[in-house]
Amino acid sequence: MAAAINMIIQASHLTKQFKSVRRKEGVLGTLATLFSHDYEFKDAVTDVSFDLEPGELVGYIGPNGAGKSTTIKMLTGILVPTSGHCTVNGIVPWQDRQANGRGIGVVFGQRTQLYWDLPLVESFRLLKAIYGVSQASYDRHLKKFSELLGLDEFMRTPVRQLSLGQRMRGDFAAAMMHEPAVVFLDEPTIGLDVVAKEAIRNFIASVNKERGTTFILTTHDLNDVEKLCARIILIDHGRKLYDGSIDAIKKRYGPNRLLTADFLTDAAGVDIRMPGVAVLERDGQRIRLEFERERVRADELIVALSRQADLKDVTIAEPELETIIRQIYERGLDRSGPAPQ
Amino acid sequence: MNLAPYAEFAKRAFSREATYRAEVFTRVGSVLLRVFLLSTLWTALYRNNGAKQGISLESMITYATLALLLDLIYGVNGAYVIRQKIREGSIAIDFMRPISVPLYVFADTVGQTGFALVQIVPALVLSFPLLGLMHAHVGGPSGGIAALGFVASVALGFLLNFLIDLIMATATFWTMEIFGIQIMVQFISSLLSGSLVPLYFFPNGLQKIAFALPFAGLYNAPLSIYIGKWQGRDIALGLGEQALWLALIWFAAMAFWRRGERRVVVQGG
Repeated sequence: MAAAINMIIQASHLTKQFKSVRRKEGVLGTLATLFSHDYEFKDAVTDVSFDLEPGELVGYIGPNGAGKSTTIKMLTGILVPTSGHCTVNGIVPWQDRQANGRGIGVVFGQRTQLYWDLPLVESFRLLKAIYGVSQASYDRHLKKFSELLGLDEFMRTPVRQLSLGQRMRGDFAAAMMHEPAVVFLDEPTIGLDVVAKEAIRNFIASVNKERGTTFILTTHDLNDVEKLCARIILIDHGRKLYDGSIDAIKKRYGPNRLLTADFLTDAAGVDIRMPGVAVLERDGQRIRLEFERERVRADELIVALSRQADLKDVTIAEPELETIIRQIYERGLDRSGPAPQ
Repeated sequence: MNLAPYAEFAKRAFSREATYRAEVFTRVGSVLLRVFLLSTLWTALYRNNGAKQGISLESMITYATLALLLDLIYGVNGAYVIRQKIREGSIAIDFMRPISVPLYVFADTVGQTGFALVQIVPALVLSFPLLGLMHAHVGGPSGGIAALGFVASVALGFLLNFLIDLIMATATFWTMEIFGIQIMVQFISSLLSGSLVPLYFFPNGLQKIAFALPFAGLYNAPLSIYIGKWQGRDIALGLGEQALWLALIWFAAMAFWRRGERRVVVQGG
């Protein structure tokens, strides 16, 4: 385990089981529930292990109730696992929550950590005091974040009067003020418009690149993941399904690319018989094909098509991560892709 | 431990309170109204029945007026924010910070109480002419020791009051709603702390119960010292008793808080 020392986050066999009293129905049932010892157990996270190197930007994804936030809660120290172990910055989070707190930053899309009644800048000053940030670093960070996120125009506005996009930008700056080595992002772009999303993504990418900050991004927005992360960890029903690069999952589970060809004449007579190519749809002058990226070269396919009729336009689309992941959720990992060679 | 963040919390709470300027006027106004009503009431009661339990009418009006000012201090209830944090789940964010949540809430309460003290000045200053119109007045402390003892006793009462509020707020970890508990405790407290009626006026049995409970440390102790009902040894004993209750309730509050925290951390809320 010599290499493991360099890992900024280590999770091994993390498991969390929640115990709750089984509820009974009706008025009498409610009363009985108060004195009941009939418990039910729910496995929120089961045997999840992963290691993160410093500076990684990882997408931690899964459907609702998959166990994403339970994992994050264990890594931030506010939940003790039923079994398993983890360290963040070399600290066991739940054993020393306050020490762990100094090394991490957190951004929740649905919940602000800014002080509601105070102007934005007052929240920053308070965080400066909480984390003991020196005046020099504070000034430097504030200047930098204002540039990247455009905070100047609403720095003195009370947080309750900010728009969602402004508030999120403020939340991001707040989470980074103490230069945490690890930042957890929970649905950070939920409800944001395209411009705000883009600003936030650029900010994450730039902090990751310049400071080497490690990010774990929990989200439903796979565009965020696709734009930012090289690696994803996929979980469902509390278990890890996949851990690896986005390219690999696309190659493995989304081996087909889509080609749409528009002809100057009717496409009814066009017939392509090449191994690894399938016609999906014909519609007047348009034809849609699916082809295996490993077997068929796009240029050869286009040449073959142009021999059959006069081509007007061709577009080629990569499989979307969203489609691939939906298939994995629906069909399971093994049956989603082609049989392993 | 680094106390700088907590000083900052207290400062913020003070300036936050100061932004609600309209509320200052209504609060001071309501104190003045109550000063007027209570002194009218006590004057009428004393006219018909004479001095009670060794407390003169002047002492009684002093007692009632100061009790109203203590209401301003004790009424802050900074711990109530915990209820909201637990219900909204934002307590999780506080748990992720390198701070002690009870201490943070205490610092916030200190800041708010600081602002309450600022309101006491105009309330007190305006009370004098108001009482003067009614041929009554608020007497000073019965002596130098009484003045010091009063300040010490209010400080102890303030801490005691905070911890009682903290215990009630902590119950939210289990019950999600504490309105019922709060109303009940407030009712018992207002009756048995001596905030409405001095405990000396109570029938013997009820008096014994009241003196045996911690609530007496909130109003009865500081006000008994101020009006000179307690002297010398009694002052020391009274302060000692307050301190003892404080220690006991402090342990209870911290143990209760840790259990609540564990409930969140182990069971996920």
